[in-house]
Amino acid sequence: MKYLSEYRDPAIALALIERIRRIATRQWTMMEVCGGQTHTIVRHGLDELLEGAVEMIHGPGCPVCVTPLEQIDKALALAARRDVIFTSFGDMLRVPGSDCDLQQVRARGGAVRVVYSPLDALELARRNPEKEVVFFAVGFETTAPANAMAVWRARELGVRNFSVLVSHVTVPPAITAILTAPDNRVQGFLAAGHVCTVMGWTEYEPIAERYRVPIVVTGFEPMDILEGMLMVVEQLEAGRHVVENQYVRSVRREGTVPARERVEEVFELVDRKWRGIGEIPMSGLRLRDEFAAFDAERKFGLGGIVVNEPAECRAGDVLTGRLKPPRCAAFGTRCTPEHPLGALMVSTEGACAAYYNLARHRIGESQGVTT
Amino acid sequence: MCLGIPGRVVERRDDGGFPTGLVDFGGVRREACLAYVAGEVGIGDYVIVHVGFAISKVDEAEARRTFEVLREMSRLDELEWIADAIEPAPPDVRPAAGATRGGHP
Repeated sequence: MKYLSEYRDPAIALALIERIRRIATRQWTMMEVCGGQTHTIVRHGLDELLEGAVEMIHGPGCPVCVTPLEQIDKALALAARRDVIFTSFGDMLRVPGSDCDLQQVRARGGAVRVVYSPLDALELARRNPEKEVVFFAVGFETTAPANAMAVWRARELGVRNFSVLVSHVTVPPAITAILTAPDNRVQGFLAAGHVCTVMGWTEYEPIAERYRVPIVVTGFEPMDILEGMLMVVEQLEAGRHVVENQYVRSVRREGTVPARERVEEVFELVDRKWRGIGEIPMSGLRLRDEFAAFDAERKFGLGGIVVNEPAECRAGDVLTGRLKPPRCAAFGTRCTPEHPLGALMVSTEGACAAYYNLARHRIGESQGVTT
Repeated sequence: MCLGIPGRVVERRDDGGFPTGLVDFGGVRREACLAYVAGEVGIGDYVIVHVGFAISKVDEAEARRTFEVLREMSRLDELEWIADAIEPAPPDVRPAAGATRGGHP
Protein backbone atom coordinates (compact mmCIF):
# COMPACT_ATOMS: atom_id res chain seq x y z
CA MET A 1 0.00 0.00 0.00
CA LYS A 2 3.00 2.30 -0.26
CA TYR A 3 1.51 4.39 -3.06
CA LEU A 4 -1.70 5.23 -1.29
CA SER A 5 -0.14 8.34 0.23
CA GLU A 6 -0.22 9.93 -3.23
CA TYR A 7 -4.01 9.85 -3.48
CA ARG A 8 -6.02 12.92 -2.72
CA ASP A 9 -8.25 10.84 -0.45
CA PRO A 10 -6.59 7.54 0.50
CA ALA A 11 -9.64 6.41 2.49
CA ILE A 12 -11.88 6.40 -0.59
CA ALA A 13 -9.23 4.65 -2.67
CA LEU A 14 -8.84 2.00 -0.01
CA ALA A 15 -12.60 1.50 0.19
CA LEU A 16 -12.82 1.05 -3.59
CA ILE A 17 -9.93 -1.42 -3.60
CA GLU A 18 -11.48 -3.43 -0.75
CA ARG A 19 -14.85 -3.46 -2.49
CA ILE A 20 -13.31 -4.78 -5.73
CA ARG A 21 -11.40 -7.44 -3.81
CA ARG A 22 -14.52 -8.45 -1.86
CA ILE A 23 -16.78 -8.98 -4.86
CA ALA A 24 -14.21 -10.53 -7.26
CA THR A 25 -14.60 -14.30 -7.13
CA ARG A 26 -11.66 -14.73 -9.53
CA GLN A 27 -9.07 -12.60 -11.31
CA TRP A 28 -10.64 -10.63 -14.18
CA THR A 29 -8.62 -9.30 -17.10
CA MET A 30 -9.46 -5.86 -18.38
CA MET A 31 -7.92 -3.26 -20.66
CA GLU A 32 -7.66 0.49 -20.25
CA VAL A 33 -7.83 2.14 -23.65
CA CYS A 34 -6.37 5.58 -22.94
CA GLY A 35 -2.64 6.25 -22.56
CA GLY A 36 -3.42 8.77 -19.81
CA GLN A 37 -5.13 5.97 -17.88
CA THR A 38 -2.06 3.74 -18.40
CA HIS A 39 0.09 6.50 -16.95
CA THR A 40 -2.12 6.73 -13.84
CA ILE A 41 -2.30 2.96 -13.35
CA VAL A 42 1.46 2.45 -13.56
CA ARG A 43 2.32 5.58 -11.60
CA HIS A 44 0.05 4.69 -8.68
CA GLY A 45 0.61 0.96 -8.86
CA LEU A 46 -3.13 0.30 -9.18
CA ASP A 47 -2.48 -3.01 -10.94
CA GLU A 48 -0.24 -4.17 -8.09
CA LEU A 49 -2.78 -3.11 -5.46
CA LEU A 50 -5.43 -5.27 -7.15
CA GLU A 51 -3.30 -8.29 -7.99
CA GLY A 52 -5.39 -11.43 -7.83
CA ALA A 53 -8.65 -9.54 -8.47
CA VAL A 54 -7.89 -7.52 -11.60
CA GLU A 55 -5.20 -7.87 -14.23
CA MET A 56 -4.75 -4.79 -16.39
CA ILE A 57 -3.62 -5.04 -20.00
CA HIS A 58 -2.48 -1.68 -21.33
CA GLY A 59 -4.28 -0.77 -24.52
CA PRO A 60 -3.24 1.03 -27.68
CA GLY A 61 -4.65 4.44 -26.76
CA CYS A 62 -1.62 6.62 -27.31
CA PRO A 63 -1.88 8.61 -30.55
CA VAL A 64 1.85 9.15 -30.86
CA CYS A 65 2.54 5.47 -30.29
CA VAL A 66 0.20 4.00 -32.88
CA THR A 67 1.15 6.34 -35.74
CA PRO A 68 2.66 3.89 -38.22
CA LEU A 69 6.28 4.13 -39.34
CA GLU A 70 5.02 4.64 -42.88
CA GLN A 71 3.29 7.92 -41.97
CA ILE A 72 6.37 9.08 -40.03
CA ASP A 73 8.51 8.43 -43.11
CA LYS A 74 6.05 10.40 -45.24
CA ALA A 75 6.29 13.25 -42.74
CA LEU A 76 10.09 13.12 -42.93
CA ALA A 77 9.99 13.18 -46.75
CA LEU A 78 7.73 16.25 -46.71
CA ALA A 79 9.73 18.03 -44.01
CA ALA A 80 12.93 17.68 -46.04
CA ARG A 81 11.44 19.48 -49.07
CA ARG A 82 12.68 23.03 -49.61
CA ASP A 83 9.25 24.32 -50.58
CA VAL A 84 7.55 22.94 -47.45
CA ILE A 85 7.09 24.26 -43.93
CA PHE A 86 6.16 21.14 -41.96
CA THR A 87 4.10 21.71 -38.83
CA SER A 88 3.31 19.26 -36.04
CA PHE A 89 2.27 18.88 -32.42
CA GLY A 90 5.38 18.89 -30.24
CA ASP A 91 5.27 15.25 -29.20
CA MET A 92 5.71 13.89 -32.74
CA LEU A 93 9.17 15.40 -33.20
CA ARG A 94 11.15 12.62 -31.55
CA VAL A 95 9.23 9.64 -32.90
CA PRO A 96 11.77 7.61 -34.87
CA GLY A 97 11.20 7.04 -38.57
CA SER A 98 13.19 4.56 -40.63
CA ASP A 99 16.30 6.76 -40.77
CA CYS A 100 15.81 9.72 -38.46
CA ASP A 101 13.17 11.84 -36.74
CA LEU A 102 11.63 15.27 -37.38
CA GLN A 103 13.96 16.92 -34.88
CA GLN A 104 16.97 15.72 -36.87
CA VAL A 105 15.42 16.93 -40.12
CA ARG A 106 15.04 20.33 -38.46
CA ALA A 107 18.68 20.26 -37.29
CA ARG A 108 19.74 19.66 -40.90
CA GLY A 109 17.90 22.77 -42.01
CA GLY A 110 14.39 21.45 -42.68
CA ALA A 111 11.60 23.88 -41.86
CA VAL A 112 9.86 21.95 -39.05
CA ARG A 113 7.70 24.03 -36.71
CA VAL A 114 5.86 23.02 -33.57
CA VAL A 115 2.35 24.37 -33.38
CA TYR A 116 -0.16 24.34 -30.56
CA SER A 117 -3.22 24.10 -32.77
CA PRO A 118 -3.81 23.19 -36.44
CA LEU A 119 -5.26 26.70 -36.80
CA ASP A 120 -1.74 28.03 -36.12
CA ALA A 121 -0.52 26.02 -39.11
CA LEU A 122 -3.30 27.48 -41.23
CA GLU A 123 -2.33 31.00 -40.13
CA LEU A 124 1.29 30.23 -41.03
CA ALA A 125 0.13 29.24 -44.53
CA ARG A 126 -1.75 32.54 -44.93
CA ARG A 127 1.37 34.49 -43.95
CA ASN A 128 3.72 32.48 -46.20
CA PRO A 129 1.90 32.22 -49.54
CA GLU A 130 5.14 31.31 -51.36
CA LYS A 131 5.53 28.13 -49.24
CA GLU A 132 3.52 24.93 -48.90
CA VAL A 133 2.50 24.48 -45.26
CA VAL A 134 1.74 20.89 -44.25
CA PHE A 135 0.26 19.93 -40.88
CA PHE A 136 0.73 16.43 -39.41
CA ALA A 137 -2.86 15.55 -38.43
CA VAL A 138 -2.48 12.73 -35.92
CA GLY A 139 -4.51 11.50 -33.00
CA PHE A 140 -7.70 9.83 -31.90
CA GLU A 141 -11.18 11.34 -31.80
CA THR A 142 -10.00 14.06 -29.40
CA THR A 143 -7.91 15.89 -32.03
CA ALA A 144 -10.06 15.01 -35.07
CA PRO A 145 -12.53 17.89 -34.51
CA ALA A 146 -9.63 20.39 -34.44
CA ASN A 147 -8.02 19.00 -37.58
CA ALA A 148 -11.36 18.75 -39.37
CA MET A 149 -12.09 22.39 -38.58
CA ALA A 150 -8.67 23.55 -39.82
CA VAL A 151 -9.29 21.90 -43.21
CA TRP A 152 -12.88 23.18 -43.37
CA ARG A 153 -11.67 26.70 -42.52
CA ALA A 154 -8.86 26.51 -45.13
CA ARG A 155 -11.45 25.76 -47.80
CA GLU A 156 -13.71 28.54 -46.54
CA LEU A 157 -10.84 31.06 -46.65
CA GLY A 158 -9.46 29.72 -49.95
CA VAL A 159 -6.00 28.95 -48.58
CA ARG A 160 -4.47 26.80 -51.32
CA ASN A 161 -0.97 26.32 -49.87
CA PHE A 162 -2.23 24.46 -46.78
CA SER A 163 -2.58 20.68 -46.56
CA VAL A 164 -2.63 17.95 -43.90
CA LEU A 165 -0.86 14.60 -43.66
CA VAL A 166 -3.61 12.57 -42.01
CA SER A 167 -2.85 9.70 -39.64
CA HIS A 168 -6.05 9.66 -37.60
CA VAL A 169 -7.28 6.54 -35.86
CA THR A 170 -10.47 5.74 -33.99
CA VAL A 171 -10.99 3.67 -30.86
CA PRO A 172 -13.99 1.36 -31.52
CA PRO A 173 -12.41 -0.63 -34.42
CA ALA A 174 -9.30 -1.20 -32.26
CA ILE A 175 -11.47 -2.63 -29.48
CA THR A 176 -13.14 -4.92 -32.02
CA ALA A 177 -9.74 -6.01 -33.37
CA ILE A 178 -8.56 -6.87 -29.86
CA LEU A 179 -11.75 -8.82 -29.09
CA THR A 180 -11.56 -10.84 -32.32
CA ALA A 181 -7.86 -11.76 -31.99
CA PRO A 182 -7.54 -15.54 -31.52
CA ASP A 183 -5.59 -15.21 -28.26
CA ASN A 184 -7.66 -12.39 -26.75
CA ARG A 185 -7.84 -12.44 -22.94
CA VAL A 186 -9.59 -9.09 -22.36
CA GLN A 187 -12.93 -9.49 -20.55
CA GLY A 188 -13.84 -5.86 -19.99
CA PHE A 189 -12.80 -2.37 -21.09
CA LEU A 190 -12.29 1.01 -19.52
CA ALA A 191 -13.17 3.28 -22.46
CA ALA A 192 -11.35 6.61 -22.81
CA GLY A 193 -13.17 9.47 -21.08
CA HIS A 194 -12.01 12.33 -23.26
CA VAL A 195 -12.58 10.44 -26.52
CA CYS A 196 -16.15 9.79 -25.35
CA THR A 197 -16.56 13.44 -24.32
CA VAL A 198 -16.33 14.18 -28.05
CA MET A 199 -17.96 11.07 -29.52
CA GLY A 200 -20.35 9.91 -26.83
CA TRP A 201 -20.72 6.16 -26.34
CA THR A 202 -23.34 4.96 -28.80
CA GLU A 203 -20.64 3.35 -30.99
CA TYR A 204 -19.67 1.10 -28.08
CA GLU A 205 -23.13 -0.29 -27.44
CA PRO A 206 -23.17 -2.79 -30.34
CA ILE A 207 -19.64 -3.93 -29.38
CA ALA A 208 -20.66 -4.63 -25.77
CA GLU A 209 -23.73 -6.48 -27.00
CA ARG A 210 -22.08 -8.49 -29.77
CA TYR A 211 -18.98 -9.60 -27.85
CA ARG A 212 -20.72 -9.79 -24.47
CA VAL A 213 -18.11 -7.53 -22.89
CA PRO A 214 -18.64 -4.78 -20.28
CA ILE A 215 -17.39 -1.34 -21.38
CA VAL A 216 -17.22 1.47 -18.82
CA VAL A 217 -16.46 5.04 -19.95
CA THR A 218 -13.82 6.13 -17.42
CA GLY A 219 -11.81 9.23 -16.49
CA PHE A 220 -8.07 9.26 -15.92
CA GLU A 221 -7.62 10.13 -12.24
CA PRO A 222 -6.83 7.29 -9.78
CA MET A 223 -10.33 7.41 -8.24
CA ASP A 224 -11.95 7.38 -11.67
CA ILE A 225 -10.00 4.32 -12.70
CA LEU A 226 -10.70 2.42 -9.47
CA GLU A 227 -14.40 3.21 -9.81
CA GLY A 228 -14.34 2.16 -13.49
CA MET A 229 -12.66 -1.11 -12.53
CA LEU A 230 -15.28 -1.71 -9.86
CA MET A 231 -18.10 -1.12 -12.35
CA VAL A 232 -16.54 -3.60 -14.81
CA VAL A 233 -16.02 -6.23 -12.10
CA GLU A 234 -19.63 -5.78 -10.90
CA GLN A 235 -20.88 -6.43 -14.43
CA LEU A 236 -18.62 -9.44 -14.93
CA GLU A 237 -19.68 -10.98 -11.61
CA ALA A 238 -23.35 -10.41 -12.49
CA GLY A 239 -22.94 -11.74 -16.04
CA ARG A 240 -23.95 -8.38 -17.54
CA HIS A 241 -22.35 -6.69 -20.56
CA VAL A 242 -23.47 -3.13 -21.21
CA VAL A 243 -21.92 0.29 -21.65
CA GLU A 244 -21.88 2.33 -18.46
CA ASN A 245 -20.52 5.81 -17.75
CA GLN A 246 -18.26 6.41 -14.78
CA TYR A 247 -17.11 9.82 -16.10
CA VAL A 248 -20.51 11.50 -15.72
CA ARG A 249 -19.04 14.92 -14.97
CA SER A 250 -17.71 15.19 -18.54
CA VAL A 251 -19.38 12.66 -20.86
CA ARG A 252 -22.87 12.64 -22.36
CA ARG A 253 -24.26 9.75 -24.37
CA GLU A 254 -24.41 11.78 -27.60
CA GLY A 255 -21.00 13.46 -27.07
CA THR A 256 -20.32 16.95 -28.44
CA VAL A 257 -22.64 16.96 -31.43
CA PRO A 258 -21.24 19.94 -33.43
CA ALA A 259 -17.74 18.43 -33.23
CA ARG A 260 -18.95 15.00 -34.36
CA GLU A 261 -20.81 16.54 -37.27
CA ARG A 262 -17.78 18.50 -38.51
CA VAL A 263 -15.58 15.37 -38.28
CA GLU A 264 -18.12 13.42 -40.34
CA GLU A 265 -18.39 16.22 -42.90
CA VAL A 266 -14.62 16.42 -43.52
CA PHE A 267 -13.37 12.87 -42.91
CA GLU A 268 -14.39 9.38 -44.02
CA LEU A 269 -13.43 5.99 -42.59
CA VAL A 270 -10.62 4.00 -44.22
CA ASP A 271 -8.47 1.00 -43.40
CA ARG A 272 -5.45 2.24 -41.43
CA LYS A 273 -2.17 0.71 -40.27
CA TRP A 274 -1.39 0.95 -36.55
CA ARG A 275 2.23 0.94 -35.49
CA GLY A 276 3.25 -2.51 -34.37
CA ILE A 277 -0.24 -3.95 -34.88
CA GLY A 278 -0.80 -3.75 -38.62
CA GLU A 279 -3.84 -2.78 -40.59
CA ILE A 280 -7.21 -2.57 -38.83
CA PRO A 281 -10.22 -2.36 -41.16
CA MET A 282 -12.08 0.98 -41.19
CA SER A 283 -10.08 2.21 -38.19
CA GLY A 284 -8.68 5.42 -39.65
CA LEU A 285 -9.86 8.69 -41.09
CA ARG A 286 -8.95 10.36 -44.35
CA LEU A 287 -10.19 13.50 -46.05
CA ARG A 288 -13.30 13.11 -48.18
CA ASP A 289 -12.89 13.75 -51.91
CA GLU A 290 -14.44 17.22 -51.54
CA PHE A 291 -11.39 18.13 -49.46
CA ALA A 292 -8.79 16.25 -51.57
CA ALA A 293 -6.97 19.50 -52.44
CA PHE A 294 -5.96 19.70 -48.77
CA ASP A 295 -4.71 16.08 -48.54
CA ALA A 296 -0.89 16.15 -48.51
CA GLU A 297 -0.65 12.50 -49.60
CA ARG A 298 -2.62 13.24 -52.77
CA LYS A 299 -1.11 16.70 -53.30
CA PHE A 300 2.51 15.49 -53.10
CA GLY A 301 2.00 11.96 -54.46
CA LEU A 302 3.21 10.07 -51.38
CA GLY A 303 1.25 6.89 -52.04
CA GLY A 304 4.40 5.08 -53.16
CA ILE A 305 6.00 5.16 -49.70
CA VAL A 306 5.39 1.74 -48.12
CA VAL A 307 7.39 0.82 -45.02
CA ASN A 308 7.53 -2.26 -42.82
CA GLU A 309 8.05 -2.05 -39.06
CA PRO A 310 11.48 -2.95 -37.58
CA ALA A 311 11.68 -6.42 -36.00
CA GLU A 312 13.39 -5.55 -32.72
CA CYS A 313 10.67 -3.24 -31.44
CA ARG A 314 7.89 -5.41 -30.02
CA ALA A 315 5.36 -2.56 -29.81
CA GLY A 316 2.67 -4.76 -31.34
CA ASP A 317 2.98 -7.34 -28.55
CA VAL A 318 2.88 -4.59 -25.92
CA LEU A 319 -0.09 -2.83 -27.52
CA THR A 320 -2.10 -6.04 -27.63
CA GLY A 321 -1.21 -7.09 -24.11
CA ARG A 322 1.00 -10.07 -24.96
CA LEU A 323 4.14 -8.48 -23.49
CA LYS A 324 4.71 -6.24 -20.45
CA PRO A 325 7.32 -3.59 -21.33
CA PRO A 326 9.93 -4.58 -18.68
CA ARG A 327 9.99 -8.10 -20.17
CA CYS A 328 11.14 -6.82 -23.57
CA ALA A 329 14.82 -7.65 -24.19
CA ALA A 330 15.54 -4.11 -25.39
CA PHE A 331 13.75 -2.33 -22.49
CA GLY A 332 16.04 0.10 -20.66
CA THR A 333 19.11 -1.08 -22.56
CA ARG A 334 18.94 -0.61 -26.32
CA CYS A 335 15.62 1.21 -25.96
CA THR A 336 15.33 4.25 -23.68
CA PRO A 337 13.47 7.58 -23.93
CA GLU A 338 16.75 9.16 -25.06
CA HIS A 339 17.30 6.51 -27.77
CA PRO A 340 13.91 4.92 -28.48
CA LEU A 341 13.46 1.97 -30.82
CA GLY A 342 9.76 2.71 -31.07
CA ALA A 343 7.14 5.28 -30.25
CA LEU A 344 5.97 3.58 -27.04
CA MET A 345 9.22 4.73 -25.44
CA VAL A 346 8.91 8.31 -26.76
CA SER A 347 5.52 9.54 -25.66
CA THR A 348 4.59 10.20 -22.04
CA GLU A 349 1.41 8.26 -22.83
CA GLY A 350 3.34 5.23 -24.11
CA ALA A 351 3.31 2.09 -21.95
CA CYS A 352 7.09 1.57 -22.29
CA ALA A 353 7.89 5.14 -21.20
CA ALA A 354 5.40 4.84 -18.33
CA TYR A 355 7.21 1.77 -16.97
CA TYR A 356 10.63 3.28 -17.62
CA ASN A 357 9.79 6.51 -15.79
CA LEU A 358 8.21 4.55 -12.94
CA ALA A 359 11.43 2.56 -12.53
CA ARG A 360 13.37 5.83 -12.33
CA HIS A 361 10.82 7.17 -9.84
CA ARG A 362 11.15 4.12 -7.62
CA ILE A 363 14.82 3.26 -7.91
CA GLY A 364 16.23 6.76 -8.13
CA GLU A 365 18.36 8.19 -10.89
CA SER A 366 21.70 7.35 -9.26
CA GLN A 367 21.12 3.60 -9.40
CA GLY A 368 20.08 3.60 -13.04
CA VAL A 369 17.29 1.59 -14.54
CA THR A 370 17.45 -2.14 -15.02
CA THR A 371 13.70 -2.89 -14.78
CA MET B 1 -2.65 15.60 -26.84
CA CYS B 2 -5.40 13.21 -25.79
CA LEU B 3 -6.03 14.75 -22.40
CA GLY B 4 -7.68 18.11 -22.81
CA ILE B 5 -6.72 21.03 -20.60
CA PRO B 6 -9.36 22.96 -18.65
CA GLY B 7 -9.37 26.74 -18.84
CA ARG B 8 -11.62 29.77 -18.27
CA VAL B 9 -13.02 31.80 -21.13
CA VAL B 10 -11.95 35.43 -20.59
CA GLU B 11 -12.82 36.94 -24.00
CA ARG B 12 -15.21 36.01 -26.80
CA ARG B 13 -14.98 37.14 -30.40
CA ASP B 14 -16.82 36.44 -33.59
CA ASP B 15 -14.24 36.31 -36.36
CA GLY B 16 -16.58 36.62 -39.34
CA GLY B 17 -18.96 33.98 -38.03
CA PHE B 18 -16.12 31.89 -36.58
CA PRO B 19 -16.41 31.95 -32.78
CA THR B 20 -13.06 32.29 -31.01
CA GLY B 21 -11.92 33.51 -27.63
CA LEU B 22 -9.14 33.89 -25.15
CA VAL B 23 -8.84 31.10 -22.57
CA ASP B 24 -6.89 31.31 -19.33
CA PHE B 25 -5.08 28.08 -18.37
CA GLY B 26 -3.90 28.66 -14.80
CA GLY B 27 -2.36 32.01 -15.77
CA VAL B 28 -1.28 31.13 -19.30
CA ARG B 29 -3.63 32.71 -21.85
CA ARG B 30 -4.18 31.46 -25.34
CA GLU B 31 -6.57 31.86 -28.25
CA ALA B 32 -9.00 28.97 -28.68
CA CYS B 33 -11.73 28.11 -31.16
CA LEU B 34 -15.13 28.12 -29.47
CA ALA B 35 -17.17 26.95 -32.48
CA TYR B 36 -18.04 23.56 -30.98
CA VAL B 37 -19.40 25.01 -27.73
CA ALA B 38 -20.65 28.36 -29.05
CA GLY B 39 -24.23 27.80 -27.92
CA GLU B 40 -23.44 27.02 -24.30
CA VAL B 41 -20.33 28.97 -23.30
CA GLY B 42 -19.92 32.59 -22.22
CA ILE B 43 -17.24 34.69 -20.53
CA GLY B 44 -16.29 33.19 -17.17
CA ASP B 45 -17.29 29.65 -18.11
CA TYR B 46 -14.83 26.76 -17.95
CA VAL B 47 -14.09 24.57 -20.96
CA ILE B 48 -11.90 21.56 -21.79
CA VAL B 49 -9.56 22.52 -24.64
CA HIS B 50 -7.92 20.03 -26.99
CA VAL B 51 -5.17 21.45 -29.24
CA GLY B 52 -6.76 24.89 -29.37
CA PHE B 53 -10.41 23.80 -29.57
CA ALA B 54 -12.90 23.93 -26.73
CA ILE B 55 -14.68 20.57 -26.80
CA SER B 56 -16.91 20.67 -23.74
CA LYS B 57 -18.08 22.88 -20.92
CA VAL B 58 -17.24 21.85 -17.35
CA ASP B 59 -17.96 23.35 -13.95
CA GLU B 60 -15.32 25.30 -12.08
CA ALA B 61 -14.63 22.65 -9.44
CA GLU B 62 -14.05 19.98 -12.09
CA ALA B 63 -11.84 22.33 -14.10
CA ARG B 64 -9.62 23.14 -11.11
CA ARG B 65 -9.34 19.51 -10.08
CA THR B 66 -8.46 18.31 -13.58
CA PHE B 67 -5.87 21.06 -14.00
CA GLU B 68 -4.15 20.09 -10.76
CA VAL B 69 -4.15 16.42 -11.70
CA LEU B 70 -2.59 17.24 -15.07
CA ARG B 71 0.00 19.37 -13.33
CA GLU B 72 0.87 16.54 -10.95
CA MET B 73 1.10 14.12 -13.86
CA SER B 74 3.37 16.53 -15.75
CA ARG B 75 0.83 16.26 -18.52
CA LEU B 76 0.38 19.85 -19.56
CA ASP B 77 2.17 19.13 -22.85
CA GLU B 78 -0.07 21.42 -24.82
CA LEU B 79 0.94 24.37 -22.67
CA GLU B 80 4.57 23.57 -23.44
CA TRP B 81 3.79 23.68 -27.13
CA ILE B 82 2.52 27.20 -26.61
CA ALA B 83 6.02 28.16 -25.51
CA ASP B 84 7.49 26.56 -28.62
CA ALA B 85 4.77 27.60 -30.99
CA ILE B 86 5.60 29.61 -34.03
CA GLU B 87 3.01 32.34 -33.70
CA PRO B 88 3.33 33.89 -30.26
CA ALA B 89 0.31 35.59 -28.80
CA PRO B 90 0.33 39.39 -28.65
CA PRO B 91 2.76 40.75 -26.01
CA ASP B 92 0.07 41.53 -23.45
CA VAL B 93 -1.07 37.91 -23.22
CA ARG B 94 2.23 36.09 -23.69
CA PRO B 95 2.99 33.64 -20.87
CA ALA B 96 5.66 34.76 -18.46
CA ALA B 97 9.01 33.05 -18.91
CA GLY B 98 8.97 29.66 -17.27
CA ALA B 99 5.24 29.72 -16.63
CA THR B 100 4.51 26.99 -19.12
CA ARG B 101 6.87 24.57 -17.42
CA GLY B 102 5.09 24.83 -14.10
CA GLY B 103 4.67 21.43 -12.52
CA HIS B 104 7.55 19.78 -14.27
CA PRO B 105 10.32 18.37 -12.15
